[in-house]
Amino acid sequence: MYQDDGSSSATSSPLQFFSMAQLSPNPSNLGSPYPYLRELKSEERGLYLIHLLLTCANHVATGSLESAEVALGQISQLSAPDGDTMQRIAAYFTEALAERIIKAWPGVHRALNATKIKIPSEETMVRSLFYEMFPFLKVAFVVTNQAILEAMEGEKMVHVIDLNASEPSQWIALLQALSGRAEGPPHLRITGIHQQREVLDRMSHKLVEEAERLDIPFQFNPIVVSGGLENLDPEKLRVKTGEALAISSVLQLHPFLASHKNPNSRLLQRQGTLGELGKMDWFLNVLWGLSPKVMVVTEQDSNHNGATLMERLLEALYSYAALFDCLESTVPRSSIERLKVEKMMFGEEIKNIVACEGGERKERHEKLEKWIHRIEMAGFVNLGLSYYGMLQGKGLLESYGCDGYRMKEENGCAVICWQDRPLYSVSSWRCRK
Amino acid sequence: MTTSSSSSVPFFGMGREEVDEQMMKQQSAAAVGVGLGGLHHHHNPHLHLHHHHHQLLQHSSSLLSNSQLTTAGAQQQPPPPLSAASSAAGSGPPQLKRKRNQPGNPSKYLLLATYLALLLYLHPILLGLISCFCFSFFPPLPLPLLPLLVWLRVLVSATPRIDPDAEVIALSPKTLMATNRFICEVCNKGFQREQNLQLHRRGHNLPWKLKQKNKNEVVKRKVYLCPEPTCVHHEASRALGDLTGIKKHYSRKHGEKKWKCDKCAKRYAVQSDWKAHSKTCGTREYRCDCGTLFSRRDSFITHRAFCDALAQESARNPPPSLASHLFTGAGGAAAGLANNTTLDISSSTAHSSAAADILRLGGSTTGPGQFDHLLPPSTTTATSQQFRNQPHLSPSSAAFFMPQQDTSDHHQPFHHALMQQFSSDPNNAGGAAANQLFSLGFDGTTTTNNNMMTLFANNNNHGGVGGGGGGDHQHQMMMGSSTGGSVPLFSSSVHQQQMNNMVAHMSATALLQKAAQMGSTTSSNPNATTSASLLRSAFAAGPNNNHQKSSSGEKQPSLGTFGGSFFGDVDTDNGSSNNLHDLMNSFTAAANGNNNNNNGSGSSNNKKLTRDFLGVGHVAAAVRGIATTTNTISQQQQQIGAALERSSSLDSERNNNNSMGSHSSFGGNPSFQ
Repeated sequence: MYQDDGSSSATSSPLQFFSMAQLSPNPSNLGSPYPYLRELKSEERGLYLIHLLLTCANHVATGSLESAEVALGQISQLSAPDGDTMQRIAAYFTEALAERIIKAWPGVHRALNATKIKIPSEETMVRSLFYEMFPFLKVAFVVTNQAILEAMEGEKMVHVIDLNASEPSQWIALLQALSGRAEGPPHLRITGIHQQREVLDRMSHKLVEEAERLDIPFQFNPIVVSGGLENLDPEKLRVKTGEALAISSVLQLHPFLASHKNPNSRLLQRQGTLGELGKMDWFLNVLWGLSPKVMVVTEQDSNHNGATLMERLLEALYSYAALFDCLESTVPRSSIERLKVEKMMFGEEIKNIVACEGGERKERHEKLEKWIHRIEMAGFVNLGLSYYGMLQGKGLLESYGCDGYRMKEENGCAVICWQDRPLYSVSSWRCRK
Repeated sequence: MTTSSSSSVPFFGMGREEVDEQMMKQQSAAAVGVGLGGLHHHHNPHLHLHHHHHQLLQHSSSLLSNSQLTTAGAQQQPPPPLSAASSAAGSGPPQLKRKRNQPGNPSKYLLLATYLALLLYLHPILLGLISCFCFSFFPPLPLPLLPLLVWLRVLVSATPRIDPDAEVIALSPKTLMATNRFICEVCNKGFQREQNLQLHRRGHNLPWKLKQKNKNEVVKRKVYLCPEPTCVHHEASRALGDLTGIKKHYSRKHGEKKWKCDKCAKRYAVQSDWKAHSKTCGTREYRCDCGTLFSRRDSFITHRAFCDALAQESARNPPPSLASHLFTGAGGAAAGLANNTTLDISSSTAHSSAAADILRLGGSTTGPGQFDHLLPPSTTTATSQQFRNQPHLSPSSAAFFMPQQDTSDHHQPFHHALMQQFSSDPNNAGGAAANQLFSLGFDGTTTTNNNMMTLFANNNNHGGVGGGGGGDHQHQMMMGSSTGGSVPLFSSSVHQQQMNNMVAHMSATALLQKAAQMGSTTSSNPNATTSASLLRSAFAAGPNNNHQKSSSGEKQPSLGTFGGSFFGDVDTDNGSSNNLHDLMNSFTAAANGNNNNNNGSGSSNNKKLTRDFLGVGHVAAAVRGIATTTNTISQQQQQIGAALERSSSLDSERNNNNSMGSHSSFGGNPSFQ
């Protein structure tokens, strides 16, 4: 049996030793160790969860499912969707891993998801919650607007295509900026693409109102596209000759990677064999064909498109840890909105990254350098964001009042980070003549 | 909204200094900010409240910078003691004497008030810092103080402090950052001063003109605005007094830190700062009695706190004899398990049936051979039950790792004994421990017990690895698992937010970082060649500040506690080339492709150890009945033993490398993307 350690520990918990070890420099604090111990426990639990998650993922990756099952069981004892950050992350990652396991039995998987209904309005709602809770999209909008503003200097006819027209505020800001132009406001036309008619109607209403207030000649061109941008009919964009075109893409390009088969297919593309191309090449080619004066692309700046599960899971672990940390330090744990964003947005993304393969895997976030290479291959030239655009983005981030958000420049593009972890990138492009 | 403020800032006296068109652009573009400013609000009351809090933080930080600047201007006068503050504030009329660096200095009264406010506001933080030593918890700033703070801030900013005669100059970032902004149009040579350009133009036979100083003209004082709209020095009332000052301020606070110290990870935006740092960097070293080296004082202090505590504790408890303890411990554990199994089956049948279902499904798809030992439901129950119990029984980290510790009356520092024993005699003790564990597992002939022993060995390994790395790693382990409260307080830049919230828990990012770096910050054994853990390499893209360089420069990412155990459960016996294995190969430079083949040959134990870091895979395999010969068992026992303490596996790897004549170099960041 153990020999008594002679310490004056009052309880029989083994943790008592631990706390003694740390508290012994100042034993007077023994009176109320609870809050500290609780936090201590949170950290240990976090480390243990990380360990378990990776062990479990290894098992899943190697197909030793019975070990994975044990690990999943252990994790689920410790994780909680409303606990601390690591508990939350662990909950979503285990859900994703479990889904991956279940996918080996397509029937079971389908049956489990039989009643799952995709409600577009919910998705839109979560997107707007994401927009509200994080500064990322706002910064992206500010930087995008500044890039458009600079590119459209002196233009009389301006056409802006928004590939995901969900937030009217971006364009209201642009309207205001354009109305303050030294040479006077241009004729502005905004083409908004979205899955839902209602969203576009709301947007149209708001923008028209604002344009009238500012007395800017304005036209809104709504395009409803169901089932993703791949179903977009380029004819509907109605780009006219003589107008200066700007394209804004916020988190819209990476789904096209899902069927990206041949990365070097641009040569073929030029020869007109579009049928054999990946969707990404097709879409970038469509955009290139519109010859925009400026195209601003915002994408997740993470590498979630690795070939193996472990690669993706690790990368995802890091970037979603950062995202969850953002929420942890800005939103209270009990917030329903936070839970919604975590579950319906991040949770679904994690699930897609971890559990899905092939064409199903849409959340193929990639690093900025890959995007630069890809977009350059598609015939675009990196414009480089202006110093002032960067400054504005930084200013907005700082005004957010949260220390962790940072912004840096990389190859003339803006990278928005949480602490040192890059999360989103904004780059601006023009057609190579 | 701060961005919108840029449009409201007047640009006084754009006299002599050139103010280029960039400023105009800034003006117009600020309108963009206005628009978005409107939407930067939250419907959620929680969020809103929070932002209020952030605002306060900003206020306090601006106060901070204000007071700092003022002291700098006052030739490093020590801040007045707090007790004197009230009397001085009461007696002295506001002084109007100007300091060198600032046109609008707050009066002494205000200065003191600022100090007071700052101290008041920062008090939880200061106390929090102290709490790192005494490990206690302090409540956040009392709420009633917040309005006071706001009021003080308003007072400070509302007081007209600007020198009415001073000429306020707003320079664009471009102009400010330009080193040679006076360019010769002929040869494109740049000059810092216009006079120099004029002199240069003379050489080209171009018209030139040197400015003559007009004796009659009264030289106006010039003050400079920071072009960053969100900066406090963007306001005319807070403009800085000299051009070099604003230049340095701008690059320090808003510029890119392009000067990197090659000795440590620090970066500087101003070259002179970098030079100053370079002179002292590396000259100061903090060495703990335990032999650990630190280059940063804060990390040293953090370490010391735990190290001292541990030393005290171990002085009090002489290391008990390990073997007997382990034996009894394990015995107790087994007994406890048996109890659990019998008692708790009924309570968790739902769980067990679900688990069994999944297992059965697994069996149907992956072939029967792999599921030879398919667990009966009761076993699964026991397992899950055990793990469900575990947090309640043993909330410490060590207990996490050794959940089977008997719950009845073993509240002694079991893991401590383990650690100490390992540090004193790593190889044998570890081996012996494993021996005991293992034979015990096999003596308990039921499947339940076998399975549990797998878990037991598994979990013990984690504890053992953590504790077994010799003195330093022992401390590291202690640190690793207990710095939760203190780390956010110590790292200056990270988690200010959390200080704000007074949530002394670690962020997930920090946890991941810690998991990846565990054990990598110290090394009393510089020869230890270890492989980078998965997490580490994945983390290469992320922040990596705590990495300390050892004096020999041979510091390599060592296999962290968790890093090791991540690989622990990989089953290498099947010869399956799983992708983890590939990863491992990419790390292990000494990998010669024989890691799958050397199974069963007694001489290759060492090699195997370096691959399958914990040897758990073999244990698991053995329990499954894939390999049940005594030869293999003893081999596995040795493996667990070695795995239980880290340094021995490191040693074996080193030996291995030496014998193979190929030294692995993992110093860099192995990328497996």
